[in-house]
Amino acid sequence: MMPSARMNVFSIVFGVAYMGLFFWSERYHTALFRYYPVLKSFSRDDLALEEAGPAILWYSWLFGATVISSVAAFVVPRSLAERIGQVWVWGVPAALLIVILVYERRWFY
Amino acid sequence: MIQLLLVLHVLVGAALLGAITHQAFSVARRPTAPGRSFVERFRGVNSPTFTNVIVLLFFVNVVLGSLLYPQYRVEVRPTLEDLQLRAANGIFETKEHFAAVALGLLPAYWLAWRPPLLPVRAETRKYLTWMLAFVAWWSFVVGELLNNIKGLFP
Repeated sequence: MMPSARMNVFSIVFGVAYMGLFFWSERYHTALFRYYPVLKSFSRDDLALEEAGPAILWYSWLFGATVISSVAAFVVPRSLAERIGQVWVWGVPAALLIVILVYERRWFY
Repeated sequence: MIQLLLVLHVLVGAALLGAITHQAFSVARRPTAPGRSFVERFRGVNSPTFTNVIVLLFFVNVVLGSLLYPQYRVEVRPTLEDLQLRAANGIFETKEHFAAVALGLLPAYWLAWRPPLLPVRAETRKYLTWMLAFVAWWSFVVGELLNNIKGLFP
């Protein structure tokens, strides 16, 4: 198979997986891992702010999305990947950008 | 070290803006004849030649941003919270999400601009380029705004 269809699958799934992991973290206050810049270390535990300082979850969402989309691009059958319409390639990320704007408007009230 | 990374982040961002803005204008409408005005010449570039550079610059700038992020989280964000600048925090949140989604777009974007430029991918080329341009501009403006926020909101 040409790399083409795999690349489109990767791009479509990456954004969805990233936002899925983000909303999972928002809803359940959990993450694959956290980075604590004050401690300069990663942890799977939600450490106390007073002891560990603020946590960064962004790396875990990026890492998770990379793994999920790489696996998806690899396992999606060739015939299915090549049938994905072009509108999905730009339509899904465009929708995600709108979802981000709508969700993050909470900061502006 | 942080200052060096920050300057590099800005410089790479500026180079990215130059390249992606050229390409974003060029896909808006193909010129039928050699342009004479500044806008026509700006739009009349050979767009595919920008693609690899844009992918590289975008990727490098996300990496630079991710290296700078811990400093922001420890020093800048608490300051914003102390100043009760919720909107400033919010625009940074959108920046990090936009950058992540755009990072994932790079393979499809690269593919869409891969020669030969198939007509079936014309819309994909256009919209992915516009999305990357939007994210690049948003990220640059937000970054500059936050970097200078103490001067803007004394």
